[in-house]
Amino acid sequence: MRTMPRPSRSTLAGALVALWAGLAMVDAAAAEPPVRVGVLAYRGGDHANAAWEPTVRYLAERFPDRGAEMVPLDLPGMDAAVRARSLDFVLTNTGNYVELEARYGVTRVATLHSSRAGASGASIGSTIIVRAERTDIRDLADIKGRTVLAGDPDAFGGFQIAWGEMLKAGVDPYRDLKELRFSGFPVDRVAFAVRDGTADAGVLRACLLEELAAEGRLDPARFRVLAPKTVPGFDCAVSTDLYPDWPLARLASTPEDLAKAVVVALFEMPADHPAAKAAGYEGWTVPLDYQSVHSLFRSLRIGPYRHLREVSLVELAREHWEWLAVGMLALLWWAIHSLRVEHLIKVRTAELRAANRDLVHEMAERRRAQEDARERQKEMDHVARLSILGEMASNLAHELNQPLGAIANYARGCTRRLEAGTGNPDQLLEVTRAIAEQADRAGQIIARIRNFVHKRPSQLEPIDVNDAIRAAVALCEGQARNGNVPIILSLGDDLPPVPADRVQIEQVVLNLVKNALDATTEAATGPSDRTVTVRSGRDGEGRVEVAVADHGHGMSEEARSRLFDPFFTTKAGGMGLGLSICRSIVETHGGNLRATDNPGGGVVMRFVLPVANGAPPSGEEHQHHG
Amino acid sequence: MADANRTVYIVDDDPAMRHSLAWLVGALGVPVETFASGEAFLGVIRPDRPGCLVTDVRMPGMSGLELQDTLARCGSLLSVIVISGHADVPMAARAFRAGAVDVIEKPFNDQVLLDRVHEALEKSTRAAALQARKAHVQARLARLTPRERQVAELVVAGKPNKVIAAEINLSPKTVEVHRHNVMEKLEVGSVADLTRLLIETD
Repeated sequence: MRTMPRPSRSTLAGALVALWAGLAMVDAAAAEPPVRVGVLAYRGGDHANAAWEPTVRYLAERFPDRGAEMVPLDLPGMDAAVRARSLDFVLTNTGNYVELEARYGVTRVATLHSSRAGASGASIGSTIIVRAERTDIRDLADIKGRTVLAGDPDAFGGFQIAWGEMLKAGVDPYRDLKELRFSGFPVDRVAFAVRDGTADAGVLRACLLEELAAEGRLDPARFRVLAPKTVPGFDCAVSTDLYPDWPLARLASTPEDLAKAVVVALFEMPADHPAAKAAGYEGWTVPLDYQSVHSLFRSLRIGPYRHLREVSLVELAREHWEWLAVGMLALLWWAIHSLRVEHLIKVRTAELRAANRDLVHEMAERRRAQEDARERQKEMDHVARLSILGEMASNLAHELNQPLGAIANYARGCTRRLEAGTGNPDQLLEVTRAIAEQADRAGQIIARIRNFVHKRPSQLEPIDVNDAIRAAVALCEGQARNGNVPIILSLGDDLPPVPADRVQIEQVVLNLVKNALDATTEAATGPSDRTVTVRSGRDGEGRVEVAVADHGHGMSEEARSRLFDPFFTTKAGGMGLGLSICRSIVETHGGNLRATDNPGGGVVMRFVLPVANGAPPSGEEHQHHG
Repeated sequence: MADANRTVYIVDDDPAMRHSLAWLVGALGVPVETFASGEAFLGVIRPDRPGCLVTDVRMPGMSGLELQDTLARCGSLLSVIVISGHADVPMAARAFRAGAVDVIEKPFNDQVLLDRVHEALEKSTRAAALQARKAHVQARLARLTPRERQVAELVVAGKPNKVIAAEINLSPKTVEVHRHNVMEKLEVGSVADLTRLLIETD
């Protein structure tokens, strides 16, 4: 809120001597107190003395009977002195005057007249400069997002007027710039910074650029003035309107006569008076209209209108209390909600933790139960296999007796020939080979039996169902031969592998084939019906299907309904476990086992197993159901 | 010819068992022939051929016992030995009733089997000899006229010529002629010989 003072060439010593002389004259001539002039000393008391003491001394000379006294004051001091009415006049800058006028009713009686002043007498303005080659910044709106340097936030010509102009151009320097910096004194630095490119644009008091050029300190051609305005009679480049210069104002309490006399004295000061030169002006003129300054300050909400800023917040609150209330309620709700959520989280976490503990416990229990069930099922399967082998024991013994008997015959035939000396080496060789062959055959039968009854963990692997069928049928061959019931195999040759436990599937087929052989043997039908047929193939859904057909008596209604019940049997020697276990095995493989009537008499037992790429039961599931 | 009459026939559906039995029996130095089934054997054998048949009981198709029955019905001279995996009493009884030399249960002692084979061959040979003799007698009997046959039977019954003549209304002289013809045709020298011959042929 100050304008830049003009450089003063007066010497401090001379001024002090003159002041002392003036005061001495006042003391000697008059009883009235000297005229007290408060001067804004914005750069310190010394500077103010140098600049303005000649002016005060001029007044003192014009009022020899009472004299004049200069009181250098800073801004707060000025405010306090005006409030205390300890001054008659204030000589202060435009901004401060406007504030004092608004607050204490001080009245301007004269305004400094500058030689550069335009036709209106106003001479304070701002010049906004950029480097001449910055074609990207063409007008004020282009400084958005740029770095701008100004002298001081409180400088009237050096910033505030430009600030107002920027607002008019739609640029709020405090919001829309990349950076707003202030150089402080000396404000010449602003021009140099723009020249050196450390700032995109600079704000100068009007005419400072011309003054620096006149002093030869920079080349004006290197700068361009943004939004230049033409003011008649004002020959400095300027980007803004012009505002009045420093005024001299009287306080409300200052006598009218004194005010008049002072105004007259000032107006009569010649333009080349040393006092004018000291302070850099060309005399005094009629008080200008400071309304434009009021408007500017009001729009900027500074100076006397600073309260607009603060009040506006309150007013805002008053205007929009509903929203504030809603906001407060929302905040309150949020706070309560947060607390509630936190509480809930704590509770839920505790619950979850407890549930988790229970779950872990339960899982362990279930795993144990499943293991038990699996173990039991394994035992059961094993017992069932032993049981069916037991039922087949005599047949298996017969089966084994064949190769053993053959071996014995071969060996004894050899012995006799060797004893008799009739052995022909070629014959003996052939026969010993036959012996070895039969030993192998016996070994294979034993291996099949051992494989079948061997206790082992259930394991799923892709198997060829036909292999399991052949192995099972091989175990039944003795019975088939003895019962004179041929087993006819009709096996599909393009079956996909099935994820299954080979021995368990073998067990199922063995059970079904053995049942079929038993039924057919008992039935004693005609020779053409004395067959058991084992078929394999794929069903309509692409699953692998195995069917075992006999020509027995078929099933009674009771047998049909209880077919898969454990311990239900129609056989004298049977345990009744076979089919029940067969079904549980097939079902744990994801398939099913059904009994239907054979159209030619007897029964067809049929089971299907899902193939690997279909929807195979997982290994887990298999084991769980056991 | 004697060798051919001592042939041992082996019927068993199990190739190894068949082959090994042949090898064992072959140690006796007799001819051995093997067949995979009763049907195959029946297609080859002649009923008047003596020899020894060794057959398994349980076979697909015709069983050993059925084969034995069929041979018996044909009047075969073969002696039969039945081998069984697990012999039970009804089965064994049936085999013996049908004239089996023995029923041997597996596993068997080779000496027992060979003894039985030997025995069976002897029996069959004997039976063949008897059969031959019977045939010879029958042939001679066939030479008699009905009247001569009638006289022969009455002679064997121990009746004197006079009684015979009275019974059949012939002269004693005629009866004497018939009696002489009978003795001549049947090549017997005494009433005792005649009696034995007629009993044999009954």
